[in-house]
Amino acid sequence: MADFAGAFAASHGPLLVREWDAVPQNEKLRLEKAFKELGRRVTAARPDVLIAISPDHWANFFLDNYPAVCIGVGAINEGPPEPWMKGFPQHEIPGHAEFAFHFLNESLKDGFEPSLSHRLKLDHGTCIPLWRMELAKMPAIVPMLVNSIEPPMPSLARCLEWGKLLRKAIESFPSDLRVGVLATGGLSHSIGEKTMGAIHEDFDRETIRLFSSSEKSLIDYLNGELPSRGNGSEEVRNWLVAHGAAGGRGFELVDYLPVPTVIVGCGFASWR
Amino acid sequence: MLMRDYWLSKLFFDLQQPALAAEFKANRDAVLARYSLSPEVQNAIRENDAPFLAQRTNAYLLRYYFFATGMKDAEFIRKLRGG
Repeated sequence: MADFAGAFAASHGPLLVREWDAVPQNEKLRLEKAFKELGRRVTAARPDVLIAISPDHWANFFLDNYPAVCIGVGAINEGPPEPWMKGFPQHEIPGHAEFAFHFLNESLKDGFEPSLSHRLKLDHGTCIPLWRMELAKMPAIVPMLVNSIEPPMPSLARCLEWGKLLRKAIESFPSDLRVGVLATGGLSHSIGEKTMGAIHEDFDRETIRLFSSSEKSLIDYLNGELPSRGNGSEEVRNWLVAHGAAGGRGFELVDYLPVPTVIVGCGFASWR
Repeated sequence: MLMRDYWLSKLFFDLQQPALAAEFKANRDAVLARYSLSPEVQNAIRENDAPFLAQRTNAYLLRYYFFATGMKDAEFIRKLRGG
């Protein structure tokens, strides 16, 4: 039987790569330390497979067909397509078709209807954390792309339910396997809007606090606040999937810091 | 209701390809001619009218577009705010 190896979260953002040299030294050191500490925890959890939860930043999908949730079932995932991610060390990242199909089938059995893809590009959303965490060994990656980019998006409550379903799928997988969950994105940021560049530290800190509170208070707060906290903040959906998978017991914050140079409230966490 | 100009969005999506972005920089009108864009939208592209374009496409695609044209974020934000 498979084991749940742990749930983790890290922010991402193109400027963590493109503007890295411009990040003030003290913030750079904290970001490096946070990514590496998260990497240490992921390595210590010994996952054979990581379910990487991220939005698709228009790398795979377009308005022709933009799924609410897509599970990558391919044996191979492609590395990041963005030219400025060319330093990412892998052009191809192995997937885990057997677990991915199990997850997909369990989803359908439970009344969830994700889309599927046999070949996904893993854009900066997934690959910046994988890169910066400096994992001792890259696990197989099963991408779970959750739309937090193009409205309308899956409800927050549904994302939490997705996490619970994922946990059930892990525990019902019939082979020995350690499966971890990596949520990427958030916390507050605003992209391509009039408010671009705004970081809402108060929102981020309250969101972090509420992850250790009841599901209802967390969801109610986010539903009330997200419309005015920048479109990038919608990526907290990925954290909700991880929260659901981890059993909703709250997380240990590795670090949080607003980084104006990369225009993201950067959060790093591992669930209890 | 959410408004999306499909072909404007498609142009921005396609410009993520470096080869097309280079062609766009060298001969913008030739690339624009391949997309079914209204005269108003074409003008907005030529004039970098970010607020007009923002009403018709996804915010991330809009940001990618201005990045692809070489505009710095600070200038993009200024334009978004109508400056």
